[in-house]
Amino acid sequence: MDSTLQRAADLLAQARFPVFGGLFTDVNGAAAALALAQKLGGVVDHAASEGMSRAARVMRETGSTPASFGEVRNRADTIVLIGDSPRARDPELLEKLFPAKALPRPGDNARELVVVGAKKGKTPAGLRTTEIDGKTALPELVASLGAAIRELPFEIRDAALAKKILSTGKRLRESAFAVFVYDPAEIEEPVLHTVLEAVRHLVKTTRAATLSLAAPGNGEGVNLCSTWTCGLPVRTSFAGETPENNMWAFETERLLKSGEADALVWIDALDGADAAPPTRAFRGISSVVLSSKPVKAGRDDVVVEVGAAVADHDAAVYLPPIAGIGEVKATSADASKPTVADVLNKIGTLIDAKRAA
Amino acid sequence: MLTQLKGGRVIDPAHNRDAVGDVYLENGRIVDAPEGREPDEVHNVSGKIVMAGAIDVHSHIAGTNVTLGRQLMPELPLMASAEGQPILPSSAAWGSYATGIRYAEMGYTTVIEPAMIPTHAIQAHKEMASIPIIDVAGLVILGNDDYTLNLLRTGNVKSDELKDYVAWTLMHSKALGLKVINAGGSEAFKFNARTFDLDEQVPEYGVTSRGIVEAMQQAIADLGVPHPPHVHTNNLGIAGNVDTAVATLEATQAHPIHLAHIQFYGYGKEGDKGFSSGAPRLMEAINKNKKATVDVGQVMFGQTVTISGDVLRQFTARAANPKKWVINQADGNGTGIVPYNYKKKSFVNALQWAIGLEIFLLAEDPWRVLFSTDHPNGALFVRYPEIFHLLMDKNERLRWFDRLPEASRQVSGLAGISRELTLSELAIITRAAPAKVLGLTDRGHLAPGAIADVAVYTDQKNKTKMFSAADLVFKSGKLVVRNGNVVDVSWGRCYHVDPGFDRQIENRVRSFYETYYGADPSWFGVTPTVSDRPDRFATIPCAS
Ligand SMILES: [Zn+2]
Repeated sequence: MDSTLQRAADLLAQARFPVFGGLFTDVNGAAAALALAQKLGGVVDHAASEGMSRAARVMRETGSTPASFGEVRNRADTIVLIGDSPRARDPELLEKLFPAKALPRPGDNARELVVVGAKKGKTPAGLRTTEIDGKTALPELVASLGAAIRELPFEIRDAALAKKILSTGKRLRESAFAVFVYDPAEIEEPVLHTVLEAVRHLVKTTRAATLSLAAPGNGEGVNLCSTWTCGLPVRTSFAGETPENNMWAFETERLLKSGEADALVWIDALDGADAAPPTRAFRGISSVVLSSKPVKAGRDDVVVEVGAAVADHDAAVYLPPIAGIGEVKATSADASKPTVADVLNKIGTLIDAKRAA
Repeated sequence: MLTQLKGGRVIDPAHNRDAVGDVYLENGRIVDAPEGREPDEVHNVSGKIVMAGAIDVHSHIAGTNVTLGRQLMPELPLMASAEGQPILPSSAAWGSYATGIRYAEMGYTTVIEPAMIPTHAIQAHKEMASIPIIDVAGLVILGNDDYTLNLLRTGNVKSDELKDYVAWTLMHSKALGLKVINAGGSEAFKFNARTFDLDEQVPEYGVTSRGIVEAMQQAIADLGVPHPPHVHTNNLGIAGNVDTAVATLEATQAHPIHLAHIQFYGYGKEGDKGFSSGAPRLMEAINKNKKATVDVGQVMFGQTVTISGDVLRQFTARAANPKKWVINQADGNGTGIVPYNYKKKSFVNALQWAIGLEIFLLAEDPWRVLFSTDHPNGALFVRYPEIFHLLMDKNERLRWFDRLPEASRQVSGLAGISRELTLSELAIITRAAPAKVLGLTDRGHLAPGAIADVAVYTDQKNKTKMFSAADLVFKSGKLVVRNGNVVDVSWGRCYHVDPGFDRQIENRVRSFYETYYGADPSWFGVTPTVSDRPDRFATIPCAS
């Protein structure tokens, strides 16, 4: 192990502009990656940062109106499910969002589900459901619904569909607490804006909110850790005097393709989730791979086997039910495997020693 | 190692000391002048001011809400300015690391994060653990959560269970005390209320705001938690709200209470514009309720972002500048993040600034009127030295006052107040009193046995300069700042209470979270491993 870490330290100490990608790790692993990236003047990114980046841009431009998972399941009377991804990501999602027992909620509407722009899927029995789909593309459906909410005109050829949209707009205005559920990785930025503006229109008189699906691979946990550490989310570079965030420039795949990054640290060490490596990873670029799974890496790459967070060791990760970072006890603790944080911190110490020498 | 700070003017109001003398430090503590021993290290501080390290009783430095603010406004540090000059160099200046460094440079050694969310306590503690140098503690929020409200449901007051629940929450989140934010108001917001008063009932639960605060006071008193309930009362920021503050002060005399950022409640509704200073009336009530302490929440002109668990208030105040805002409708209180630019030319902002200063200057007992800006809500903490200057220098105050809008000047009593806080009084409101109110008896003073947190300043007329950069700062006896710059990045500790409870509460809480949230409370229980430093946590004893 020691010689492997020394090789990793040697490789990274020479790097001019390393990128820390994947980052499927717990919060401690993220903190260690941020510290090492700062030390080396590199970039931090996350394998599921595309959706988070979109949401972050919208947030910076105009803000957000999130509701916690708990508030939605206990108090929403109308849930608008947008796109296919939410149910694909969590087949139990609707059961969780419409529990049998809930806290006191506002209004006396029966609870209702609206599905927008999604393939037919399973819905809880007995739940009143409106499907807004057909051949129309999702952005247009959401835009039309947004218009219907505001009682503005919209153009939908299919008369039956138009009628459904109109009555859904009315139902949302009459809802005590309407919540729009989506995965920011599935829907485009303009659609995110449309939804947010619809919520902001509704809250003038009633309550409304959004529930944005958490990114896989502890994306939110890593992103939050980056934000409190350096004031900026992932896709941040520490190459300059002050950290710089750029959602386009500091994306792993682009940095590798363009040749700007000259080293890659790839981290894939979470139980139950795999970070797909970038297309050309581990080829023609010096790589250090920290993984809890078998890895196909290049001959000159340094591969360090680490424990899988949550399975092999207790781990702080983002937990959707509490809409925040919680700590989960290991299912079958294996102390023989180091954590991502252990490994990165040791590499950092070795680099310090090398620089001091 | 024995260290001597030799020949400085030692200001230690907890022991009525303001005299030239020596201070000795050894093994992280203040010690008596040793007989027959030479110090290993001598710092000649003659002509300098020697005080205990400063303690911030209320500053939002960590946790979900602060980081949500960072996500909304990464540009805040670059927009923040004093007198038009940018004062922070990069987005990172709002991160954890820079927070500890800057606090230390100003001579602060302990800071209290006043709004930990119970279910998000792990994030708060992880953030706090990444703040260097300073010691920290968190206050945990209750009072708008359905578990509490269910216990207080009209005619259903099970006071022992509430006491156990409060104790369990303090233990589970490793908190030093309890925070109550617009008691019942955030829950009412969930039922679409847009205002909420002291005697209004929470929908579905029937309990009033007054009832929640009183029950929490009782629970904290029964548990013997040293820090009283830290309360953000109803109607923040609204003209005429001095009535609410005075009513709250009158209603809560049975037990100690700490009212946060009281400046935001010092508003009358007199005059053409329906907004006036309520400071004199407020201070009369504070001077009278001897069991109450307050922190001020001083406003300074410039860009900031307001971060608050008072989601109802933040919603009604969502006209943001710049024009973007977050309303987070979450378990318990939720959050509102609203950027705000306090403008010198604004009638209201100018008056808010003056009201804060009036409160400091009208306080009969500085031990009960503590320093804060409610960072970042009234002003960023980096602005503290300017405020010290305003409090200690009447001419500086008038220089600022003269540039305010005439309408504000006409209705403000500030110009008529000639009081200038002394160094001893400043040491009370920034050191001795916060320590006392928080129950952190080992700090805020310089008696032997106290933790060796010491700040040394160069006495000068320009107090902004004086307090911006300490000459020397010792944290637990270690020299961490020299000439205003950090020379050693050490790591502090986190203080909390653990009052004990009937273990039955654990099963009840587990069943509540499983049923309504599909969550296991162990997920948000803070354990010592939340930080990788083994001696991170220290328990403050409770009286009972
Ligand atoms: Zn506050």
